[in-house]
Amino acid sequence: VAVGSPIVPLGSAVTASCTIQSKLCRGLEQEKVRITWMLDNEPIAGQQGQGPGDTEVSNLTLPQFNRTQAKLWCWVEWNGTKQRVGMAEIRAGYPPSKPFNLSCTLNLSDYGLTCQWEPGADSHLPTSVVLKCAGSRAPAVTGCTPQGGRSRCTVPRRLLQLYRHMEIWVSATNTLGTAESEHLCIDPMDVAKLDPPALQSIQSIPFQTDCIALTWEVARSNAHMELQCELRYRTPADTAWALVTNIIGHAGTTQCCGFLFGTQYHFQMRCRRSLAQGYWSEWSLGRNYTTHEKAPTGKLDAWWSTRP
Amino acid sequence: APLAELSGDQRFHTFLKNNLEFTRKIKGDVAALQRVVCDTFQLCKEEELLLLRQDLDIAQAPLELCHGRSFQADACFSQIREGLRTYHSSLDAVLELLPGHAALVETLQLDAANLSSNIQHQMEDLGLATVTYPTEARRPLPAFSSHFHHQVGGFFILANFQRFLETAYRALRHLAH
Repeated sequence: VAVGSPIVPLGSAVTASCTIQSKLCRGLEQEKVRITWMLDNEPIAGQQGQGPGDTEVSNLTLPQFNRTQAKLWCWVEWNGTKQRVGMAEIRAGYPPSKPFNLSCTLNLSDYGLTCQWEPGADSHLPTSVVLKCAGSRAPAVTGCTPQGGRSRCTVPRRLLQLYRHMEIWVSATNTLGTAESEHLCIDPMDVAKLDPPALQSIQSIPFQTDCIALTWEVARSNAHMELQCELRYRTPADTAWALVTNIIGHAGTTQCCGFLFGTQYHFQMRCRRSLAQGYWSEWSLGRNYTTHEKAPTGKLDAWWSTRP
Repeated sequence: APLAELSGDQRFHTFLKNNLEFTRKIKGDVAALQRVVCDTFQLCKEEELLLLRQDLDIAQAPLELCHGRSFQADACFSQIREGLRTYHSSLDAVLELLPGHAALVETLQLDAANLSSNIQHQMEDLGLATVTYPTEARRPLPAFSSHFHHQVGGFFILANFQRFLETAYRALRHLAH
């Protein structure tokens, strides 16, 4: 069976032909060859006639092929039975959709750049998807190929240029065409996902005030970065967090005031690179601290109740 | 534009701040390898190995144009790039010495090449003359007469690289302020 194209745009026409050289088929020579068609299990009418070189040919046109996949069978009648003599698999779909919502994150443990995107509508056709990247003044290369139909993959460090802008985009290709996502122009470091700091100690300093001194350590993977951090805290009764912003990461200590006495607070901290306002780290593990009690103020009223 | 005029150029400033951070990262990784050499071979103090150093042919990249009165930014950039290339090659000897830490050494080589190309692109953006090195032109490894000499050689390659990075860092910081 010969088809115009095994892959066609959905809804377009499909043409096919089935050629029988009866003298090659034992038992068919004398009888009048009768060719019929079936699309999967559905009989379809073709136009049969004599073909070149003592052959019988049946031509078929499906004006609007609306299935994403089907088998076109060619049958011949032989000894009162119907015989399958040929088949063509036809697939139909669309050119790839334009991938969108491309975003990337740099993992600081292995400096791999993981990107994810939305694939867009299904094209119904085998589609190859790759993430392309191009350093400034360097040719585009395949950064990575998503596995298992996923819409994410990781560009290894050796293909990245740190501290310099790169172009990154998704390219999807099938038989009917190619589609590219928007091109991201990013410095991988600007999308670094930092590891959270670790809160070390919390103390009431200076003593007998409503202030606390808090110390922390930045993650080793961020040690070389200038960091901007923020602290949040609340009591178990609070629903909202109080937020302290613009803390210098490498200071390692900060002082906050205005705390209630004899009250338990829950503290967390997070950081990001101050150079590029990239992603915040996750919040650190929380730490609880109960502020010290304070001697009541004011004049002590003393009284003594007696019963006559 | 002469480099002096660029002190106000935001992109040049971002380049400097970014690559100061990058240099700090590389210095941290070199320090980590120095700790490995110290822990593994008990080679920790330079002053204990000065005699041996004289026998070993350990590359040391010049950076005299990056400090003091002879400071010239464009020439300094070129010296930094040349030095990064030297140490990129020398690290092959460390790779051989510490197969168990190949990933860290290879990351270091990647970062050194990346920093060098960052500087090259910035020089091109500034209209400065740059040298484009053949990518895979690797210098021959120094020949060590014994495994112990190889260890000491590895120690000095890292020590020299750390000093080189410190000087390069100060030069970039000087330009950034």
